[in-house]
Amino acid sequence: MCNAFGIVNFEGSNVKIKGLQDYRPAGAISFLGRYRLIDFPISNLSNSGVNHIQVHIKDKPRSLVEHLGTGRHYNINSKRGKLHILPSSSDLGSDFYNHDIASYLYNMRAIEEVNYPYVILVPSHMVYRMDYSDLLDRHIESGADITMVYQSVDNAKEAFIDCDVLNLNKQKGVLSIEKNRGIYKTRNISLETYVMSKELFIDLVKKAANTSSLYWFRDIVNDECSELDIRATNHRGFFACINDFKSYFDANMSLMDFDKAKDLFDEDWPIYTRTNDSCPTQYYPTGRVVNSFVSNGCLIEGTVENCIVGRGCVVKKGAVLKNCVISPSVVIGEDVHIENVVVDKKARITRKKDLVGESGNPMYVKRDDRI
Amino acid sequence: MRQNNMLAMILAGGRGTRLEALTKKIAKPAVYYGGKYRIIDFPLSNCANSGINNVGVLTQYESVLLNSYAAAGSRWGLDARDSGVFVLPPREKDGAAFDVYRGTADAISQNIDFIDSHSPEYVLILSGDHIYKMDYAKMLSYHRAQNADVTIAVLPVPMKEASRFGIMNTDEEGRIVEFEEKPEHPKSNLASMGIYIFDWKQLRKMLVADMDNSDSNHDFGKDIIPTMLNDGKRLFAYEFNGYWKDVGTIDSLWEANMDLLDKNNELDLNDPTWKIYTEDVATTPHFVGKNAEVVNSYINQGCVVNGKVKNSVLFTSVKVAENADVQDAVLMPNVEVGEGAVIHRAIVAQGVKIDAGAVVGDPDSEHIELISKRVRCE
Repeated sequence: MCNAFGIVNFEGSNVKIKGLQDYRPAGAISFLGRYRLIDFPISNLSNSGVNHIQVHIKDKPRSLVEHLGTGRHYNINSKRGKLHILPSSSDLGSDFYNHDIASYLYNMRAIEEVNYPYVILVPSHMVYRMDYSDLLDRHIESGADITMVYQSVDNAKEAFIDCDVLNLNKQKGVLSIEKNRGIYKTRNISLETYVMSKELFIDLVKKAANTSSLYWFRDIVNDECSELDIRATNHRGFFACINDFKSYFDANMSLMDFDKAKDLFDEDWPIYTRTNDSCPTQYYPTGRVVNSFVSNGCLIEGTVENCIVGRGCVVKKGAVLKNCVISPSVVIGEDVHIENVVVDKKARITRKKDLVGESGNPMYVKRDDRI
Repeated sequence: MRQNNMLAMILAGGRGTRLEALTKKIAKPAVYYGGKYRIIDFPLSNCANSGINNVGVLTQYESVLLNSYAAAGSRWGLDARDSGVFVLPPREKDGAAFDVYRGTADAISQNIDFIDSHSPEYVLILSGDHIYKMDYAKMLSYHRAQNADVTIAVLPVPMKEASRFGIMNTDEEGRIVEFEEKPEHPKSNLASMGIYIFDWKQLRKMLVADMDNSDSNHDFGKDIIPTMLNDGKRLFAYEFNGYWKDVGTIDSLWEANMDLLDKNNELDLNDPTWKIYTEDVATTPHFVGKNAEVVNSYINQGCVVNGKVKNSVLFTSVKVAENADVQDAVLMPNVEVGEGAVIHRAIVAQGVKIDAGAVVGDPDSEHIELISKRVRCE
């Protein structure tokens, strides 16, 4: 048990995942064939003993609500626990005003009513494994007002653009939060994960609203850096921030390195998701699969190399797939050759025989598309 | 959904002795099949898909695992307000000696109070040992249309095999005129599938009488059905055409798994309109490594394949190391095959390790080898 409740926040306006995000919030985007991004923060919370989890949704709630359901598949106790889906207000006027502070204010009663003294705030578009009960213990022990989490990266020039960066002093106190403009190689990327008392959280939300109608939660935390004791703790191990199309593709592909996959998927730290009761995957005599993750319910007659294949996909005879991320329920027809492509849910590629994206700049095939 | 006033009772107490070590600690209905399922998932999913909301599961032999497995009705969606899976092992009763279930009919007799509490109009008796997909709602419609006292599902089998089954001889209307258990010279090829729909009131009377009959074996096939025939009751055969397997032996369990490799296999577990539900495990999709070769196989989530896998069925989280060669094999959950190990024509039981370099099974053997203990390299 963990003496905190969890809030899963929606993605900020810096997150722009071409195509995929047009249909769903970032948290509902398919990952590694079987999961959706939000499975990672919720499983982390659930495995940490957090029994009450709020999921805030900005817009396009359908796929996320369907996926989350009652939360039973996340091992959340159905009586003492709760997976609370909280859509934001629909009449905010402009998308500028549709930020996390607006959602927290709109759902303030639900936040106030929770009977835990601490809150763990986590993002829905980042993939990493972390025990939040340890984090909470360390937070309480340290006496800090807020504990944040970051990961030190050395590719901040080309990746993590517009993500939050923490400027730290030597004692790992947070001096300020700024955006990564891609100027420096080495940066402390914020995991947008915060631990604090519920009381302080509510104060900050109200303060943010009084300061500026465009403030996100990160902005008020940045303002308070000199007033409050805000400390950061380093996360080690697999970490992916899905903030654009390329990072989505790269994060999927990077797990093909089996050691990385082992680091993210620990036997004692299961990542839960909604089952769709599909049968095992069937490989036919003509099927050939190398270096790939393949989900259940697929029928494979063609060649698959360096790919992530979602649940219930069909790869027909003579088809060749290389370096692709295939969402669930996709059909790749006979003799179709695709390379460096992200294919969204339920698309069917049967006629066009060659679809080749550049390496490092993959193509995108829309949901339900017919090619 | 409101119940269609039929209660299902699944007979799941059998051991399945010929499955050898696989049923040493678990009953036959809990045996693994098809890459991710247990056999009892089939009747339970069939019930759920047929709109039957309440299911009793009668367990006896090594029932600990089966009881806890079946009791989690949410797996099959049988956990709504008006539905449930009720596990019914033998129990001690006031005024009666504590006894095991003496036969299939006795298992039902000893739970008359349970069935009464649901006050169903019809009771569907099923076996927990069989692999098939069937819509029991259609069978109930047939039962009603025939105004039958009991309807028995039958499967047309090849005539030359008919003497291995309980055979129903019927008239033109499908009414059963004679029942012969394993006849030497069968007159028909309609084999009983051990699936019965009874009117509960009638069955109840028969069971009460049967309980006190010291000459009875308390068995549906041996006692209840023949008595009803003698009494001139309306018994009808409901013909089922589709995949049906009673996997009684290691060889037949292996064969039934291999049936799934056929592209047009009749069981079609991929049919979205009639899914078979089972335990939900939290593992990644399966991973096929750089030097792996996977041909004509059925592979479940969580597996990591780095060697060669051909004509095989791999259950959850099986690991096949580099240069291993797995052919014509069924590897149950969490089996680990070491580097360079060779497996031919075998079933490897859950969690068994095959050490690097070990050789298991024989490509030319007629029978399938069951590996239930760790194999070390000699």
